[in-house]
This record gives sequence, structure tokens and C-alpha cells, in this order.
Amino acid sequence: MAKRTSVVISQSPSQNPARRALEEDIVTALLMEPGIDVTIIPSLYDLTADSTGMLALQGVNGSMVMVTWLFPRAAHWILDRNQIRGHFGTTLMAAAEDTDDEDDDDEEESAEAEAKPRVIDERPLPDRSIYCLDMRATNRAADFIAEIKRIHLENNVQIVSIAGLNGQSKPVPSVAPPVPETSNGQGSNGAELPQANGSAQVQRIEDTGARRWYPVIDYSRCTNCMECIDFCLFGVYGTDRLDTILVEQPDNCRKGCPACSRVCPENAIIFPQHKTPAIAGSPEIGASLKIDLSELFGAPDQGKSAVEVAALERDEQLQLAGRNAVGMSVGIRPRESNGATSNGQVHESSAAKTSAVKDELDALMDQVDHLDL
Amino acid sequence: MSETVAFMMGEFRAEFPVDRLYADNHMWALPTEGVVRFGFTAYAVRLLQDVYFLDWAFDAPRDVTRRQEIGSIESKKAESALFSPIAGTLLRFNERLMKDPSAINVDKYDQGWLLEIAGSTDELMSPEQYVTHLDKAWEKTQRTIKGQMNE
Repeated sequence: MAKRTSVVISQSPSQNPARRALEEDIVTALLMEPGIDVTIIPSLYDLTADSTGMLALQGVNGSMVMVTWLFPRAAHWILDRNQIRGHFGTTLMAAAEDTDDEDDDDEEESAEAEAKPRVIDERPLPDRSIYCLDMRATNRAADFIAEIKRIHLENNVQIVSIAGLNGQSKPVPSVAPPVPETSNGQGSNGAELPQANGSAQVQRIEDTGARRWYPVIDYSRCTNCMECIDFCLFGVYGTDRLDTILVEQPDNCRKGCPACSRVCPENAIIFPQHKTPAIAGSPEIGASLKIDLSELFGAPDQGKSAVEVAALERDEQLQLAGRNAVGMSVGIRPRESNGATSNGQVHESSAAKTSAVKDELDALMDQVDHLDL
Repeated sequence: MSETVAFMMGEFRAEFPVDRLYADNHMWALPTEGVVRFGFTAYAVRLLQDVYFLDWAFDAPRDVTRRQEIGSIESKKAESALFSPIAGTLLRFNERLMKDPSAINVDKYDQGWLLEIAGSTDELMSPEQYVTHLDKAWEKTQRTIKGQMNE
């Protein structure tokens, strides 16, 4: 029997009608597809660990396609933190978004990445893939449907070949449609449209929670260096029993503060709602199609290193919490001469290099902000 | 809203009530008993067009400096960070806009207000001064928009 594929649509917290329309178009089109189950959840990032939405996702056993308004890395590692684990599914859509420049960056990064052990290397992952699609990639629902069908097919082909190799010893996991607890009475589930046999089951989980703000660690980049736990003075980070860094108290995080992600030498810390793509989880340049009016609305000039900015952001939060500012004196380590990510000790000679690397994306954004006026 | 002064943004006539003050980041300011209520001017709303999403960077109340980043906005045509128009204590945001920011478009000078700050109005402008400010800034505004659209 063919394996079913779970598709999860994570709604935008924005009221943008174009976004709502795309979400609904994808859902409607998926209803016609055999072998697909659809779950619609409020914005994935805002779901708490014990929310109806997260529990529903934890009930999905097989491969999953996560369709969100977040960068795929952000979505993948939010799920991972909530014990919804799998291999990072390769989507053809994401690949199509890369430009030549970005490819170069990726190659440099991955060449360097292989040199160091990453947390992910120590972690066995369940035998399934989680594919994260970014609804910002295209506004055509048909593109998403095509990609989801491709993934669905790919999964079924994989299962057949694995079963063949193992002499059918592996049972094909069946995906039971998750039934959420609707303790708040606001959840609803069940089919919304008449269905043919085998076609999609749809489950809608309503928005109940507030907007959240907390870091998400990308363990494929994280080296467990502990700079974040040293830097953050609000007790967001902790370690597990194997002394691996984790986001232990996400709600201790200070709304709007992305400082720890700026000090992370591997750019492994994601704040999915941050306006800077590099911090929001993209290795790519998330070129916006919209006009940035920030300068007209009062944006001041910038010109500080990432760590200086981080220290200022942290001081601001410390003072708001009634504590003393600490500047650059606490939790900032001098870095080795690894120019690629060194932004701890800013010397005149390395300042340009530093900002050129870490703030490459920031700088591009700034260029847009500071068009020759 | 009775009497206004106006500024022509190309063909579009942006009107500004004379019963209040203005900040250079295109917010109107209505002071009452030490608290100043702010909202977007017709100029800002014209640049933004339909507002889809408003997000504040922190929970009020909180002390802010002038030009401190306080949030962000997304509209049909644009996005922008938002900055505090004056220094003081940001007392509250207009909660009604969080679920549905459309009041910014339909009733910008009243129900579409953005935030309230306890602070000094010394740095704010009169309606006439604001129009003069717009005159000077119009060229830059056009270049900002056109420059980005050509990319």
C-alpha cells in the first residue's frame, strides 16, 4: 500500500490577503491529490511545545512536507527542537531560488563546514525526511502542488526500494491522521470537502496562542562551542544530559533581541522573525520585492561590528530588566584568527574583513537603505 | 477633523489636520495631559498603501529614545522598520491594530492611531513646519522609491 504524505500548512501571522489566498489555494488543490493528508496550523514558530498544533505534528510518523512563511532552515530546526525530527528533505524549489552569487557563498561555507564536527553528526535521525517549503518562493499554488507530488512520489519510491533491500523486513509505517486534543474548544478537525477514496484528509487547528520570540539552533551548523550560553545573560540556553547546547527556556528570551545570533561563530542561531535574512535563517539573500521605507521613517545610520551591535542590544535588554549594562566585558570571547567568522575582537585591520563576512547580508540591506541620496 | 493643510505628492493631495503636531518620521502627534498619541500622517499612509501587518519590537510600557527602533510594518507596497518619534516612556500600542491594521488606512487620524508616549513635544513640528519639511524631503522620497524599484 502506498505511503501517505503529510502536508502541513503553517499560516502567516500577517493578515496579508495574498498570503492567505496562497495558503488556501494550496489546501484546495491538495484536496484532489490521493495519498496526501493536510494539516493547517497557526504560524509554526508561535506554537508552544504543548500546543494542540505541535502535538498534532508530533503524531505524524512518516515523511512530512512543511509549508511555511519561514526559511526552510528555520522551520526544520523549530520542528527538531520539538522532537519532530527527520532528515532535511531536499526540495527542488529551494534550489531554484539560488542565484550564482549565493551558490558561491554556499560552497565556501560548506567546504569550511566539513572541517568541524557538528552537533548533528552525533545525532541519529529517524528514517524519514522533513521537507520545508517556503511560501515566499513563488506565489503560484501549482508550483507547490507539483513539488509536493514529486516529494510524495519520491517517498513511495524510496520505501519500495528499502523494503526490497531488506527483504520486506521493514514494515511500511502507516500515517495515522493525528487527532489533536481540543482542550480549548477552538480546535476543529475533519474533512471540509467531500472526498474521493484515498484523497486528502484535512485538519484545521485554530490560532490560540500569542506571538513568540526565541532563538532556534541549527544543529547542522552548531559546533557546541557554548559562546551563546556565555553571552546570553537571560538564561535562555542550557545543556542536555550529553552537555549539548539547547534552547532551554525560550520564553526567557527578550522580544526583538537577536544578539546571541550575532555572536554565534557559525551563524547557527536563527530568529525566524528577524528582518535580516541572515538572522532569520537564510543562507541566501532574501531579496524583498517590497520597497524599504525605513530610511524615510527615521532609520539612523549604522556602522558597528556585529558583536558591538550584539553587546548594545544585550545592554538594552539588561537595563530594561533592571540590571546593569555590561558592555563588551562579559561573555565575549576573543576568537582565533579564523577570519571567516571572527567578529569578537574587532581590530582596525580586521574590521573590514569582519563586517564583510558576517554582515555581508546586512551590508547589502544597508545598501538598499542608503541608496545614493 | 476640520481644518487642514496639504501637500501635493504628485497628483495625490495629502492633508494634515491643524489641530495637532507632527514628527519628521511622518507621524502626527496629539498631546493630551502629558501623553502624546501618535499615528501615521496621510503622507506615510500614501507611501505605505494598504497595511497588512504591524509588529512591535517589545511590550509596552518601556522607555524609548528618539529614533529608537520600535517595530516594523508591512503593507501592500512596502515594508519598513518603525522608530520612536520622540524620547519618553512608550505607554501603550494600539492593540486594535494587532489583529486588523486596516484602521491605519481607513481612519488614520483617529482610530488608526499607533502608540502613546509620555514625553516632551519640544522637537515636534507645527503643521506648517511639517509641510515645509515635506517640501524639502520630497525629492529624497521619490529617489528612495524609484531607486529601489529599478533594482
